[in-house]
Parts: sequence; C-alpha cells; structure tokens
Amino acid sequence: MSTAKINAPAAGFPALALFDNFWQPKPRQYIDRYLLVAVLALVSVGLLMIMSASISFADHQYNDGFFFTKRHLMYLLIASSAALVVLQISMRWWYEHAGLIVIVGALALTLVLIPGLGHSVNGSRRWFKLGMFTLQVSELAKVCMIFFVAAYLQRHQLRLQDSWHSFAIPLAVLGVFAFLLLLEPDFGSTVVLSATVLAMLFLAGVRLWQFLGLMAVGIAGVAVLALTSEYRFRRLVTFLDPWAQQFGDGYQLTQSLIAFGRGEWFGVGLGNSVQKLFYLPEAHTDFVFAILAEEFGLIGVLLVMALFSLMIARILIIARKAVQRQDWFSAYVVFGIGILLAGQVFINIGVTSGLLPTKGLTLPFISYGGSSLLVCAVMIALVLRVGIEMDDMAALAKRTGKTKRRAAS
Amino acid sequence: MGERVKKSAAKQPARNRDRVSARRGSGARVRSIAPWRYWTMVVALFSLGVLALSHIAGLQVLPDVHQGFEFLQSQGKSRMLRTVAIPAYRGVITDRRGEPLAISTPVVSICANPQLLALDGDKLAMLARRLKLRVGDLKARIARYRNKEFMYLARQLTPPQAQAVLDLNIVGIFKREEYKRYYPAGEVAAQLVGFTGIDDRGQEGMELAFDSWLYGATGSKRVLKDRKGRVIKELQLIKSEKPGGNLALSIDLRLQYIAYRELKAAMKKFRAKSGSVVVLDVLTGEVLAMVNQPSFNPNDRSRLKVGSTRNRALTDLLEPGSVMKPLTMVAALESGKFHPNTVIDTSPGYLRIGRKTFVDHRNYGKLDLSGILAKSSQVGTTKIAMKLEPEAIRGVFDRVGLGQSPGTGFPGESAGLLPSKRRWRDVERATMAFGYGLAVTPLQLASAYAVLANDGIKKQASLLKISAAEGVLPGPEEQVIDKKIVASVRQMMKAVIGKEGTGTRAAIDTYEVAGKTGTSHKVGAGGYQQDRYVGLFAGMAPADKPRLVTVVVIDDPRGKDYYGGLVAAPVFAKVTAEALRLMSVAPLKAPEPKLVKGSTVKRGGDS
Repeated sequence: MSTAKINAPAAGFPALALFDNFWQPKPRQYIDRYLLVAVLALVSVGLLMIMSASISFADHQYNDGFFFTKRHLMYLLIASSAALVVLQISMRWWYEHAGLIVIVGALALTLVLIPGLGHSVNGSRRWFKLGMFTLQVSELAKVCMIFFVAAYLQRHQLRLQDSWHSFAIPLAVLGVFAFLLLLEPDFGSTVVLSATVLAMLFLAGVRLWQFLGLMAVGIAGVAVLALTSEYRFRRLVTFLDPWAQQFGDGYQLTQSLIAFGRGEWFGVGLGNSVQKLFYLPEAHTDFVFAILAEEFGLIGVLLVMALFSLMIARILIIARKAVQRQDWFSAYVVFGIGILLAGQVFINIGVTSGLLPTKGLTLPFISYGGSSLLVCAVMIALVLRVGIEMDDMAALAKRTGKTKRRAAS
Repeated sequence: MGERVKKSAAKQPARNRDRVSARRGSGARVRSIAPWRYWTMVVALFSLGVLALSHIAGLQVLPDVHQGFEFLQSQGKSRMLRTVAIPAYRGVITDRRGEPLAISTPVVSICANPQLLALDGDKLAMLARRLKLRVGDLKARIARYRNKEFMYLARQLTPPQAQAVLDLNIVGIFKREEYKRYYPAGEVAAQLVGFTGIDDRGQEGMELAFDSWLYGATGSKRVLKDRKGRVIKELQLIKSEKPGGNLALSIDLRLQYIAYRELKAAMKKFRAKSGSVVVLDVLTGEVLAMVNQPSFNPNDRSRLKVGSTRNRALTDLLEPGSVMKPLTMVAALESGKFHPNTVIDTSPGYLRIGRKTFVDHRNYGKLDLSGILAKSSQVGTTKIAMKLEPEAIRGVFDRVGLGQSPGTGFPGESAGLLPSKRRWRDVERATMAFGYGLAVTPLQLASAYAVLANDGIKKQASLLKISAAEGVLPGPEEQVIDKKIVASVRQMMKAVIGKEGTGTRAAIDTYEVAGKTGTSHKVGAGGYQQDRYVGLFAGMAPADKPRLVTVVVIDDPRGKDYYGGLVAAPVFAKVTAEALRLMSVAPLKAPEPKLVKGSTVKRGGDS
C-alpha cells in the first residue's frame, strides 16, 4: 500500500465522512486498453445480437421491431454513465464501506421478497420496479458479496488457515445471501455466487482439505436442493435427456441445441436465424448465445469466447498487479469479479448448449437486460479503477525511487 | 509472480509487516497468494472455456457425434420444414353454351395450433364473435384439440370474413387458402352436376364422374415455417400444381330451366312424389336437358333430404307401360305380318290370355295400327303380340338399347332390366308388348325413342357436349331398325296426339308431334298397386323430321289425374315447344292464323 492514498479525514463534518476518499479521479492514460476494447467489442456484439434475435418477437409483441434494441441502448447509456462514476471512486472508499455495502445488499435481498415492493416474473420475485426500468437485486447482491469477502480477506486472510471461526464468518454471510436468493428463487445466482466466494477463499489460502470439504458440502447442498424440489429435479432430468421431453420441459433446450446444430462452421448469416422466430423462448435474453451460434456458427462462437477470454485474462493480470502491490482488497475484488464473470459466461454458455442444467443467468454484456448490463459495467469499471491505481502507484514508486536514488548518489 | 511477491516481501519485511499489522490488524505471517493456487485458478477458469468450446464444437461441426449437428438439423427440419399442398384450381363445369354450372371461388379456412393458443377472456370472446361461434363452444373445441398441433377453427370463410379473424393477430391462428365450389344454376341442374365435398373432391354427379379431370393435380412445396405457422421462406417446389380441366356438359341451361320449371309446376299441380324430364338431341344423342324433382340446393346442403340428390332420370327404374307400344309396332311391321293399314278387331274390349284378362277402357271395335296406338288398346296390342315370334318384341327392345348400360359414365346410372327367356309364356309375350315385365330409366326410354326419331339409327346418349375440338367424340352409331318402318311408326304416333288419341295435350301449335302416352301401375309390396301410377309421355318433334325427343315421367301423382296423357303430356308440350323455338327449328305448320285461333280454343280446353 502506498502512502499516497491516505487522505486526511474530513474532521468536523461527520455527515461527509461517508464520502471520505470517495471522489478521486486518476489519470486516464493508465486505463487497461485491452480490457476496454474486449468489453466494448462484446457490448457491440451483444447489441447486434439483441437486435437480430428480438426483432420479430418485438414486432409481434409491441409492434416495434426495435423495442428491445432501443431499450438496450438506453441501458447502455445508463450503464456506461455508472461505469464512468465508479471509475472515479477510490478502492479505499469501497474497502472502508464494505460492511455497509453488504448490509445494504442483504437488506435489498430481503425487501425484494416483500410482495408489495418486489416485482415478480414467472414466479420469481427478483426485481424492484424503478419507473419504467426494473432492477434485478441478485445482480447487485453479487457485487456486494464480493466487496465483503474481499474486505474480510484483507483483514483476516492470515487467520483463515488457523481458526474455524474466521473461516466460518464469510461462509455464514454467504449462507444468508444464498438463503435469500433461494427464496426468490434464483438458483443460478446462488450457484455462481457460492462458486465465486469459494474460489476467493481458495485463493486466500484456505487449507486444501477444508476447501475440498467445503466443495463437497456445496455440491451436496446443490444435490439436496435439486432432489428435494420436484421442479428442480424435473429440470435436471430434462437436462440429462431433453429429447425425451422435447415438446414438454425439454422444449427450450432442444430448440437451443437445434440452433447450435444449424450454425455449423460459419452460421446461417446475420438475421437468418429461424429459431428466433418464436421457436426458442427468451432468444434475446438468456438464450441469445444460441442465436449467435446459429447465425455466426462456430467461428462466431470462437470469436466471442476469445473476447471473453481476453477480458478474463486482462482481469487476472490486473489482479496480479494488485497482488504485487500487496493491495489485497483490490486484488480480491478483481479476482472475485473475474471469477464471477467467467462463471457466469461458462454457466450461460453451458446452459444454452446443454452442458449444464439450471438457467436464469444472463450472458454478460451480450444478453438483453438492464440490471445485468449495469452491474457488469460497474464491475469492469472497478477492475479498470484497480488497474489505474496500480499503474499510478507503480509510476509513483518509480518517481520516488528515482529521486531517492538521485538523492543518494 | 509468487516469487516476486515473496521477494518483495523479503526485501522490506519489517516495514511491511509493521504497516499491515498496524493498519489492518493482520497476524505476523507473510501475506501472499500461493502461486499454485493462482495458477490452479487460472487453469480452472480457462479449462472451463475449453470444455464449453469442445462441447459446442460437438454440437456444431464435429461429424459422428451422438446427437451432433446432423441429428440437430434433422430435428430442426422436422419442426420447421413443412410440405404444403398447392391446391389446384378445379375446372369449371359449363353447359353447352358456356354458361357456368360449377365454379370454384377462393375461400379461406382459419386454422389454429392449439398448443400456441393462449386466449384470455376478451380475445376469446372477440374471436368467437368473428367466427360466429358461441364462446363456450369455441372453448370446448379448442380444449378437445389441446394435444394436437393443428385444428380448423372455421372452414371456407369468405376472404373478408377470414381477414377480420386474422386481424385479431392472435398467436397460433393462421389461414389456409382453399377453393369452394359454387353452383350458379342451383337446384335446376343439381343432380346432374352433382357437388364436391369440403376437400374439393367430387361426391356426386358429374363432379364425381369426371373428378380426376376436373381436379387436376395438387402441387406441393417445401416451406420453412415459423412457430406461428407462417411461411417464412418457400424453399423448393416439389411438384407444381396442374389446374383441372373444364367440362362442357351437353345440356343447354335455358332448356334445363324450362324443363325444370314445367316439371316443378306439374309436380305441384298433380301432387306427384317425384318426376323427371329428359330432352335428347336426336341428331347427336346429346342430352339437352335432364331435370328431376325433388331437387336440392347444392350451395347449401345443410338441409339435404334423402333422395333429392338422386339423378332419377339415370338411376331410377320404372316399368314403362304403354310408351313401349310404338316399339311393339316396329316388331309387328318387321314381321311382315302387319302393315300400317292392317285392321284388327278389338271387340269385345277384353281378351283372356291364360288366366289373365286384358281390358280396354271400352270396346274400340275395329282399329288399324295407328288406332291401336292412339287409343292405347291393350286388346289390339295383345293380339298383335300373339301373332309375332316370341322373341321379336324383346329383340326390338334390345336393339334400341334397353337393358344395356347407356354408357354416359354417370355414377350410378342404371342399365335397366330386360329379361331374356328361353320359353315365353303367352302372358309374358302380351305384357312385354305393352311395356310390363321390363324396367327402364327415363334416359333409356328417351334413347329408344331417339332411334325412332333418327330413322332407325341408334346413337349413344352423351352428357358431354360433343365437340371434336375438345376431344369429345360421338359414340358408335348403328342402324338398328329399317328407315321405312320407323317412318311408318312415327306416322302412327302422330295419331296419338290427334283428336282421337290419348295424348292430345302433347300437341304444340307450331310443330307436329309424334309420341305416346303411358300410365303404368306402380309395383308395391304385394304386386301391382291398383291406385298408384306412373304417368309418362315420350315423344318427338317435329314429327316428320324430328330434332328432339322428350320424355316426361310423373311418378305417383296423388291427385285425381294420373294418366300420362293428363299429367305428363302437357309438360312435354311446353318443354318441346320452347326447346324447338330456342333451337330455331323452322315450324312446319303455317303458324299465323292457327296460332291465334287454335291457341285460344286449346287454352280454354286445358283449364
């Protein structure tokens, strides 16, 4: 940690104490260009695919083929504004308010369950209605959880290997979040959030047998959840052989698979997807990747996955920079974000291609959906902010090193 | 990386540790992320990507993968590709002058995929209203087809009606274009023309007889459909449709109308059960009119009565009775034992043959052959028959085509019955001579008379307009009776219409008529019924050079009049007169003075 980041507290103005270390613009030239380009490319692909996949459905539903495209453009504007704001906020501020953030997260997850406040779609109560937009709380909750675990590890990493106690606290908070998420229910978010927290604990140095035990418990928990609910069990069976129920529960998956099969190497061409013509439900949201695979083939899939790989790789590189600078909080935040995004990409692609059961997760930057886009943009802004802070620090260290050397010589 | 972390940690251990412990309350150990943990994480994340990618490659491009892209594409095809029929336009049926008798009009059927229908109350009510169904019925029907992917909601709506339904823009409702048959002539030619079913295939009449010609061939094409059943893309034409051929019938619609009008009027007047009129063109054998009662409206068959669809003129058998006597006369003249002037004594007005007694209305005394025909004397006819070879009369009947299929190709046409016997009993010889013991259809009767009208030449009856250009050629013709004999018999038949004859009411002002009345007892459960009759008139005009043969059958008249000369002959006169006029046949009699005088007298007599 560099001393440069320590600000004087705003003494005498307690109300403003919340915003200590809040607004700290940093030089833009340190921004990670590869990450930015990868994300912008993914956003463009997403916009194109949303336009292509939703045009018939939107025309039928709203008499406006560009209904979803227009809304998505608006979400993009909101998300990029949010990202620009987040880019100015110092990591220190997040660190200092991680406790507050996790409480706000848990509160939001609780409030959304109250029928009057939470908005329910298809039997899942996941949304707050904000005027013409809706906010999916589980998306926000994921970031809250990452902040909390990162801050916790910053403080307690070294104790983690010694005491059950310090190991149990993040798990207890995760348990609360998972419980609230399952009440919505949002099984997909629960899985991806649990996996992220576990991976962060693994990086932090939890003992291997403890970690494996935890994983076993997690898998057992998932299994119990799947087997105890008839609805989830049926979904699991459907996943194992969608063709047995191809016009019942397996319908959406089989249509998605057909979309993949039709794509072959080069796809049927932009706009020529047939699956999006009412065959594949949710073609522009959770299953947009299937339409991409149909229209652009394996080449398109490869390109998009290459962009995601570039994105994840740059995130991991920034995380490594933070580790080198021993800014543990930033490092864990970036790790958490990288794992969360990678997990979400993998789960979404796995679900659309029939590799994984469950559903309800969006494909970051590609699927239609304001909350997902907003949170993903904020996460990338956080990663970029960490990258800028690290490079800034490195530059500072270089300068001070030079002056020291000059002074010494 | 880890090493570097360690190194940096090692470089400034004291300062770092102090600061960490001071600010973040950490323990005294070196903080780091173990490299193996970091790299495990990196490898794990990217192997997830590789796993997903290889799985997708298996779905998209790798051959011979279980449920790989070949399987997926065939599954997709079975869901999205459909073969749709291209309906062929069914040929038009016209009369001989090109007046339409059956035409196809485009209609639209409203179909639905019940699995896609999600109807709330409002939409359902609106849909029911536009389909003109009750909400409950519609709901029940959709529920019945719940597990199917296709159902009809309404068949054969007019395009505007259908558009009103489609405008509701309900998911899962689509249209299917079809053709519906429309019959402009309605009940007038209903049995002859017949009708098609909802599938556009012939079910009755000429529609059935020439179905494959009229239908043409349905085409088919492969199309790509979206889930709502709308065609996105026409992929390939498998078979182009072949429009059906047109069919010109031999009837003249104007004549058909006249015949129908007169028959219907007579039916009403004489309270008859059924009836038929057949008008034949003597020169070609074409049927110019063929009408039946009772009839039906082929455009609305919702209240169809059994029996009204039967083309009685071709399918129903009747014992012709006295109308066969002219043919008996042919046999008499052919035998050489009789001349037109041969006089036969019919006194005392009855004759006993075996156990049967044949009775005339009264004692006609001595009659020549024309007299026997004119009075329709049973005794005279029987006496002639007794002097002929047993097979002679049957032979004439056989030669003019009775007991044989007329060969029009009409579905259900009857060949009639002409019994053939090794030994003829006297009674049988006698009854055959005046038209009992055999059964004919009205068309057969007309064809037989046409032989008399056409100088003894037998022609095949045709329901199609004979036209070399259209490839409809006349059937084989054959001289079956000597020309002179036929001419003599025609002369005798004129007497039937004469003052002393039974068929005075068949007379036409402007043309000479030859014909014969008939009144036969109907056969019931216990043999011939005393009070149930068929009244017939068969005749031709103009008598010396006939152009038309007209047969009128009035079946089971329940009024006080039942004689053929009373119930059938007036129909004959009206139909034949108008037909000849329409055909521009020159009147043989000088019309002017007689028309004025005679017509007033006759009309007075009629009423």
